[in-house]
Amino acid sequence: MKREIRNLSLILEQLDRRHVRLGLAVLTLALFVLGAGAPMDGGGY
Amino acid sequence: MGAATDRMILLLAVVAGLLFGLARAWYGGRPLRSPDLRTAWLVPIAFLPQWLAFYLPVTRRLVADNLAAASMVSSQALLLVFAWRNRHQPGFWSLGLGLALNLLVITLNGGLMPISPETTTRLFPGISPDTWEVGDRLRWNVVLPDAETRLWWLSDRLLTPAWFPYRHALSIGDVLIAGGAFWLLWALGGDKATNIQEKKGV
Repeated sequence: MKREIRNLSLILEQLDRRHVRLGLAVLTLALFVLGAGAPMDGGGY
Repeated sequence: MGAATDRMILLLAVVAGLLFGLARAWYGGRPLRSPDLRTAWLVPIAFLPQWLAFYLPVTRRLVADNLAAASMVSSQALLLVFAWRNRHQPGFWSLGLGLALNLLVITLNGGLMPISPETTTRLFPGISPDTWEVGDRLRWNVVLPDAETRLWWLSDRLLTPAWFPYRHALSIGDVLIAGGAFWLLWALGGDKATNIQEKKGV
């Protein structure tokens, strides 16, 4: 039982770490795109 | 001008890429991979001057035009370093080339992205064309006629189609940036071997 809980926590830890890394990467990409582009919006004028 | 939606069209490419990448990963029975980005810490640092000069209401009112222009150029130059450091990643050649083209036309025209009075009038059809004067600053754009714009063909002159919910003027660089962001996220949904082939153009 202890072993199963440990395995489960390891899986969750890995899953969380992967999600956090992916989230940070997407956030970085979004910031990059916001900083690199210079479009002009006429929609809300 | 829609302060919140100016660059949102580029974020649409990120959202679309994420959705398509997830769908691709799901179809292939694999998780969406995380890219191994180098010097990612550089991106928030690079974005900070633009945030202060163009986004944060408290500071952007205080920033003079020449300082705003300098913050744009320095910020994009730092982002170019990040793009170069990550050129091994799928989509980054497109992201970097798009950024380089934007930075080139911005730098050659005084630090802001030029937009012609004709494009501005097409973008805001409800406003009299006489309203726009050469040299007017519109956020990170500056109104300049083509004859006075260096490399005018790299400026904001591509309009989104009429059926699109938001009207935007984009540069060639913006299109390459949107394509690169989509490509990167799409590639994350594939397996590593496929990505290597995609990167090599096989």
